[in-house]
Amino acid sequence: MPIVHNGAVTSCVFFAVSGNSYSAGTFISSTVGVPALTHSFCKQNNPAVQTMDPSEVEFLAEKEMVKIIPNFSLDKIYLIGGDLGPFNPGLPVDVPVWLALNLKQRQKCRIVPPEWMDVEKLEEIRELERKEDAFTPVPSPYYMELTKLLLNHASDNIPKADEIRTLVKDIWDTRIAKLRLSADSFISQQEAHAKLDNLTLMEINTTRTFLLDSLNCMYKLRSNLQPGSNKGKALDY
Amino acid sequence: MFVTDIRKEFYDVVVNQRVALLISSDIDALCACKILQALFHCDQVQYTLVPVTGWQDLGTAFLEHKEQFHYFVLVNCGANVDLLEMLQPDEDSVFFICDTHRPVDVINVYNDTQIKLLIKQDDDLGVPSYDDIFRDEDEEDGDDSGNESDLGSEPSGKRRRFDEILFDYEQYEYHGTSAAMMLFELAWVLSKDTKDMLWWAIIGLTDQWVHDKITHMKYVTDIATMQRHVSRHNHRNEDEENSLSIDCMRISFEYDLRLTLYQHWSLYESICNSCYTSCNFKLWSLNGQKKLQEFLADMGLPLKQVRQKFNCMDISIKENLRDVIEESSNKYGMKDIRIQTFGVHFGFKNRFLASDVVHAAAALLESTEKDESASDTFIKALDCLSRSNLERLHLGIDLAKKKLIAIQQTVASCICTNLILSQGPFLYCYLMEGTPDVKLFSKPMALTLLCKYLLKAFVHSTRNKRCKLLPLIMAAPMDVEKGTVIVAGIPPESETSDKKNFFGRAFEKAAESTSSRTLHDHFDTSIIELKTEDRTKFLDALITLLS
Repeated sequence: MPIVHNGAVTSCVFFAVSGNSYSAGTFISSTVGVPALTHSFCKQNNPAVQTMDPSEVEFLAEKEMVKIIPNFSLDKIYLIGGDLGPFNPGLPVDVPVWLALNLKQRQKCRIVPPEWMDVEKLEEIRELERKEDAFTPVPSPYYMELTKLLLNHASDNIPKADEIRTLVKDIWDTRIAKLRLSADSFISQQEAHAKLDNLTLMEINTTRTFLLDSLNCMYKLRSNLQPGSNKGKALDY
Repeated sequence: MFVTDIRKEFYDVVVNQRVALLISSDIDALCACKILQALFHCDQVQYTLVPVTGWQDLGTAFLEHKEQFHYFVLVNCGANVDLLEMLQPDEDSVFFICDTHRPVDVINVYNDTQIKLLIKQDDDLGVPSYDDIFRDEDEEDGDDSGNESDLGSEPSGKRRRFDEILFDYEQYEYHGTSAAMMLFELAWVLSKDTKDMLWWAIIGLTDQWVHDKITHMKYVTDIATMQRHVSRHNHRNEDEENSLSIDCMRISFEYDLRLTLYQHWSLYESICNSCYTSCNFKLWSLNGQKKLQEFLADMGLPLKQVRQKFNCMDISIKENLRDVIEESSNKYGMKDIRIQTFGVHFGFKNRFLASDVVHAAAALLESTEKDESASDTFIKALDCLSRSNLERLHLGIDLAKKKLIAIQQTVASCICTNLILSQGPFLYCYLMEGTPDVKLFSKPMALTLLCKYLLKAFVHSTRNKRCKLLPLIMAAPMDVEKGTVIVAGIPPESETSDKKNFFGRAFEKAAESTSSRTLHDHFDTSIIELKTEDRTKFLDALITLLS
């Protein structure tokens, strides 16, 4: 089963199967914050079940808080996830993104862009990302989803929206390129484990299927190279 | 009664209720509907949308929904008849009518409880005062058919005066401020107006101009009102440093050419198929074609460029095109080739003028595909007004091009074969059944457009001074199986025309006197359906009536 994390996923640990041992499957785990729920998902035959849909990741991203300026007034509301409000016209208040977008579409508020959604800051982050070989800390654990949601629905409240979109895409492209490079060297050097810090859930989700499928294939190929081994056919992990 | 505070008396009343929206089939009504739907979505008001094409449709829709709804909003229908008498509603049904048809029926004006008119009390309403029309309780309310009482001479003298006043009031039919603009003002008062709603209001106004429903003066005044809103919206978000995203909608005032759809077509085709240029050049004649070639040569536009798609024309030609064309057209007697309008611009590719959208939506609304019912076309036309349905809009533009070409060809053939006959007090033209594209003209809006173009062309081509001042009646086959024709009448063509149409009453009287089988179903009383066999006697009656 894929591991669903409650907080930010900031590092991944990969375990590869070496030629002989076939008990440990490959799995991804988090080592930060939330107790790592590492379950191996060997015995699953269908790799597709092991991924998350990007829309599910976006759903999780909508829980992030963002500042809005409402134009209506409402007392404090008590929801299962927490308390929100009170809302007074003209006074900024923190709400989850899902509520902010709904209010914006009903023309009941104005969205204030998050602090990191600024051209200079993003340019700095982009330069840093291009210089470093490892992954740099991200402005927000859901930076890609928030950019997409806020720029699609509230681009009239965000100054220089087009430049921000380009900058965030640049940062994303650089990070994905690094991820691919790292996965490539991991496989070709047949490493046993790797540790990557500062990855976001969306980036992990993007590589998840490909990486796991390719590690499975490698395992099958490697185990078939040794004729007469104890198991008759290769097991999918 | 007229609603004075549209927010308190209309919006605050319906915002907590379920509402039935009965929308007429014209582009202004569609735009008004979009604005109202957007407002309802913001406040999560439950509503049911019912398109209606005529009085019968309105009656059936009302009967279907009267059990579940108490509040009905009628857009572009219902103001010019006695609604309560026609629909016979219960005591607690309330009707909000936002209609451009004038004159407003006096019963609707003076009813205090059930009928609320979302209409501005302009100067041009001219409603007779209460005492002039209504008598004591024991006498019937006056209406224009006249009472046949044989009371004493003094009351009957008074009644004759009332009848006269009412007759004068209801004789001419015309149109008032666009319904989309009225509902945009409601949105503005609620501070919920967006650029999308502003664009829809502009399209509603342009629809009135394209289909010749309002005078030029009124169009210019309303454009000025819209221009104030446009500048307000443009200054709200944009300044030097923080430029708006390219995907945001930008509306701009344009003093653009009167060439229909020219930015989505080639310049040459647009000149050939626009009413203004085609009539001034008289493009149905060889002489006219030559003049057109001269005109293009005069401007220095190579034929190859001019026949290309507009977007692919040379940039150097496109840059000063408007000024160059204006200069040259002044030499050829076309002083008003430019008209004030608005254009919208979003994304990198998408630029549309308001008239483009009007033509596209009208073509979609009246498309004559076999398996499309009236509600299908209504929904398609409604969809093409949203920014997210650009393919539908482009499809509409293609259909509009075909429609315009068909209109021009029909006009050319009518003029060349002298199909327009002067019947004395009016001109008359009948489209035979085998005419190409005659199916397109079985729809009211397309037929009125054809009438307008034909009359303009006729005025330019005839030498008979008297004929230039006559109105035009046109008949085209409507339903071949039922054997009916659609008959439309338009007022005479003139520079300062006030667009007041008397054919509504004339048709009614003629039909009565000859007991022809007619159906006055359309909301514009100047368009009726008539059995083909009764055509001649109906026309004769009209001639005697109007002489």
